Amino acid sequence: MSKSGEVSWKSENLGKRRWAFVVFLGILILHGLAILVFTRGFLLTRTELSQYSHCSDIQQSPCFSPPQDDQMVNHSKGCWTKPAVDRIVIIVLDALRYDFVAPSTFFDEKKPWMDRLQVLHKLASQPGSFAKIFKAIADPPTTSLQRLKGLTTGGLPTFIDVGNSFGAPAIIEDNLIFQMAKNGKRVVMMGDDTWVQLFPQHFNISHPFPSFNVKDLDTVDNGCIEHLFPYLYQEDWDVLIAHFLGVDHAGHIFGVDSTEMIEKLEQYNGILEKVVDVMESQSGPGGLHENTLLLVMGDHGQTINGDHGGGAPEEVETSLFAMSLQKNPSSLPSETDSSSCRLDTEKRKICTSSIEQLDFSATVSALLGIPYPFGSIGRVNPELYALAAGTWNLDIFNPESGINLSGSERWMQNYVNVLCMNTWQVKRYIDVYSASSVIGFSDKDMSHVSDLYAQAHDNWLHTKEAVLNCKSESCSTLLPQLKKQVETYSNFLSSITALARSKWTEFNLKMMGTGLCILVLSLFVHIFTIKKLDKLCSCYLPRGGDFVVSFEAIFAYAAVLIRSFSFLSNSFILEEGKTASFLLATAGMLQLRHAIVKKKMFLEGLLFVLVVPLLRFGIELGQSKQAVNSLFLMSFASWTVSVDNGSNLWIYVADILPFLALVILAYILYYKSITHSSCRGIFKLVAIGTIFASSLIALAWALDGNLFSPSTVIVDIKAYWIPRIIYVIGLLQLFLLAISQLFGKEKTSGWEEDTIVKATAMLSAWSSTIIILSGKQGPLVALAAVIQGWCVIRLMTLERAKNDYYDSSTSYSSPVAKWSLLAVCLFFCTGHWCAFDGLRYASAFVGFDEFNLIRQAALLTIDTFGFSHILPVMGLPLIVACRRHPEVQAEKRKPLFFLQLCQVYLIYGLTMAISMTLTIICVTIQRRHLMVWGLFAPKFVFDAVGLLLTDLFICLASLYYFA
Amino acid sequence: MDTLISENGVFLPIPPLQAVRLHFILGTILVLTFMVAHTFFPINLITHPTQTLFIIWGIVGPVLMILFGHLRQDMEQCSYFRAAGRGYVGLVAGAIVNALGAIILGAPVGFEYFTKTLNWSLLMSSFTFVPAACAFGSAWSHWHRVFAETKAFSFIDYMIRLPAYGAVIGAWFGAWPMPLDWERPWQEWPICVSYGAMVGYLMGLVASSVCIIFHNRRQQHLKGE
Repeated sequence: MSKSGEVSWKSENLGKRRWAFVVFLGILILHGLAILVFTRGFLLTRTELSQYSHCSDIQQSPCFSPPQDDQMVNHSKGCWTKPAVDRIVIIVLDALRYDFVAPSTFFDEKKPWMDRLQVLHKLASQPGSFAKIFKAIADPPTTSLQRLKGLTTGGLPTFIDVGNSFGAPAIIEDNLIFQMAKNGKRVVMMGDDTWVQLFPQHFNISHPFPSFNVKDLDTVDNGCIEHLFPYLYQEDWDVLIAHFLGVDHAGHIFGVDSTEMIEKLEQYNGILEKVVDVMESQSGPGGLHENTLLLVMGDHGQTINGDHGGGAPEEVETSLFAMSLQKNPSSLPSETDSSSCRLDTEKRKICTSSIEQLDFSATVSALLGIPYPFGSIGRVNPELYALAAGTWNLDIFNPESGINLSGSERWMQNYVNVLCMNTWQVKRYIDVYSASSVIGFSDKDMSHVSDLYAQAHDNWLHTKEAVLNCKSESCSTLLPQLKKQVETYSNFLSSITALARSKWTEFNLKMMGTGLCILVLSLFVHIFTIKKLDKLCSCYLPRGGDFVVSFEAIFAYAAVLIRSFSFLSNSFILEEGKTASFLLATAGMLQLRHAIVKKKMFLEGLLFVLVVPLLRFGIELGQSKQAVNSLFLMSFASWTVSVDNGSNLWIYVADILPFLALVILAYILYYKSITHSSCRGIFKLVAIGTIFASSLIALAWALDGNLFSPSTVIVDIKAYWIPRIIYVIGLLQLFLLAISQLFGKEKTSGWEEDTIVKATAMLSAWSSTIIILSGKQGPLVALAAVIQGWCVIRLMTLERAKNDYYDSSTSYSSPVAKWSLLAVCLFFCTGHWCAFDGLRYASAFVGFDEFNLIRQAALLTIDTFGFSHILPVMGLPLIVACRRHPEVQAEKRKPLFFLQLCQVYLIYGLTMAISMTLTIICVTIQRRHLMVWGLFAPKFVFDAVGLLLTDLFICLASLYYFA
Repeated sequence: MDTLISENGVFLPIPPLQAVRLHFILGTILVLTFMVAHTFFPINLITHPTQTLFIIWGIVGPVLMILFGHLRQDMEQCSYFRAAGRGYVGLVAGAIVNALGAIILGAPVGFEYFTKTLNWSLLMSSFTFVPAACAFGSAWSHWHRVFAETKAFSFIDYMIRLPAYGAVIGAWFGAWPMPLDWERPWQEWPICVSYGAMVGYLMGLVASSVCIIFHNRRQQHLKGE
């Protein structure tokens, strides 16, 4: 076979439907694989369980429990453990770094912000220590909301906690506050309003203050101070939570090394001094604070610049100061004591220890005598637990006797029992979790965990024996046995924690890297295929003149790259819509200039440029909606356009415009369908269906107005029947088009005309559904899109006139790049943005009231991606079909046409894939960024879904358009 | 001396040294204006963008009219004052085009931005439209040649085209930092865009001087042969 023969054989096949479908399917699979692998490494997911712990559950555990009848009579006696403290005061100082609290002698260098909370040093250094400074280690993500969730549930919140509360922040898992409220503890809260969002119903009294204004250092703090002190003299609460935000805000605005920060810390020092004074004055026998525990803690740390969210040591290291107002009788056995002691600047000996924030909820539950939250995987921390004097005079095993035990032996006995319940509860959670979660733990991990648990349980039987022995005979074996028991339990718990961390908090960089590599590979496949098609196309295209890459094509490449690289900055992601419209406008202006140079199609160029600002106003309108939801955009208020609602005329115009646009769209369709000779049979039917549907939409909106009295029939017709009829018409149209494709005859000529008709029919079939879902803005946006698309196609012929020789791909890159920029603009201008609150949930319920997952998800997808992904992909063949090659011989035109169609789809897919690649690189780089969960991760999810949808629709389009 | 014939008649020759000197004067005046605004009225672009822009275009615009009035291409039909006068028409027309372009690209719209956008577009118009209006009047073919084509027929093409392109491209790049969350006052419209335009204009002046010198060398070289 000769070389030219081979080429023509190949190209005959390459233009065919099957070949194109296989290529696009391959790319879809490649992209899907890349995204799947990357997501497994990046988006850690955890299932929220709705089970709760109950007092009576403890009967199932192998541990000693307090007599049940006692517990039934009086709740306050506790039900799992015996309560060791009566009341707890929790003062949360947001973003409290460890070095704000610990003496400067613990660090290499004394910095100006250290040693400012002197009152804590004084208390911690008092002999007969009943106060202690802890270094509290948080788990990323170190944002306040996730941390409060982690502190109260004792779990590790991830980006996607799959549960019933999708979208709403309220915690549905079992948590500390819930258990307190359920077991009769009265909780008072003041300060940061995040608490009220998380626990809307659990507080007896709450004094929330808005937390979103970062620039306001004092409102929340002053509110806290105002309410805190009166409560310290009252007795109608058991747990008091005061959340101060000043340090966090000072860090965000001024950084850690600033006078504002030091002023804040000194203010806190004064407040804490006063709090301790008030509490100590009432700590005598019978006093209000006789057995109160004071906790001063941070929820996370911050970097020197005041950022937090990631997992850097500065961000995860926060501090916890605990003080019991009842004095301890003795100190801990050395095995469980991990503190390190140093002299501070005033030569006082201060000891500090370390605690995991994960352990907070279990420890506080144990102290208060309430059940541990169901999903807690923390361990009761011995040092914090031992601070409460109440834990020293409990004897759970034999309340009557026990004369022959020393204090520490008795404490150990009690602590072992507490740990026993702790271990049993964690094991129960892990078992339930792995049974009910979609992505549970692996079998290997589970069997390891079970082994450790069995070992601890075996040991527990020996310990029980030793305890009973001690009752009757000798106690010599008791202490070593107890120590061994603590060790086995700790072993089990720490292995659970390690397992949970690896599953829920650590990015799997290998997986992320693999995903990225696959995606980059897919880019090369794209480019290779495009180049291959170039070579094949060149057989049909006449060669002449010099090889020129036009300036428009260069700008198209540049625009795609600029847009993609802009994702490396969070600001540009926030302003993505405007960036896209800026680039689109620039492309339009270059084209206008080109038109002026060529001295033709000036009007089309001008029209294109003038429609861009209209799209931008749509984008700004959407952004002003976003600003309401998001605090990131607060500072951009000056960018957003203010809409004057006052005048009647504007309301009137805004009412009438959508109808006008709808009529124009219908007329365009009507005009197209009668003028095209090849628009017959099924296609004509489809066009008529769409015109009918759009008149129904107009009817629905007319009924919406005040023209008619709102009777139930009319409401039913407008809200349910019209949307449903439109969905049915849309489905029927798609069905008809599929039929026509299956049984249509193969044509030898006029396929360009044919493709235009097919594409128009396809677009019209989708359009009515999309328009009714997006509401009254729908027809306006659709009209703008039609105008812009038409201009892009018309202006393409500007380049053809040149006598220069082009690669087929270079000549298409400019219109396709504009097409994709336009698609991005359409996404933002229909009121969407890349965040979950940017989904227009209301549109999922157009025509339906009740929730059906598949149906509502389909509607939401069509609304979200309709204008920006479905319509552009389906309309893309118009670019090729409207461009004629009169210089090519008639019999060669058909293969050339399909090769170019294939190439145009590949180029479009490539632009999407490039921006996806950069998004992935960006989230990989920024994975420890403050806004990774607020901004980058949602952007990644939207891009990934968008890319896969585009690929899918390209596959479907290849079945539909290719012969 | 290069004299080239176009379809509209004879181009007036400009000695290359004079052209370069003109560029130098323009650059110096722009920088001086900036400093005058800063020292005599203690204002700058960041604190008082409107007033500063007003001072800059109020000085640079007339200077451009005076200088390019001398370079008018239709000496016979048009007096010097008329040439300088049509610079005013060019200023207003150019301001409308520039303001429109800025709004299309994303400049904020609203009453509070009106004076800023107005002054900015007058400055841009001084950089782009005024020289061409002074030199060519309303001869469309000249405008088309200078702004739409890449080939230059005489030094005046360089002198008008390159600084104008420089200002526009500089302003385009100047818009890039605007969305960043640095919360600096200069990120506001139109401050960084004006900085970009002025820097671009200065670079255009330098590029134009280089082109003229280079062109002159080559021509003398050709003549020498």
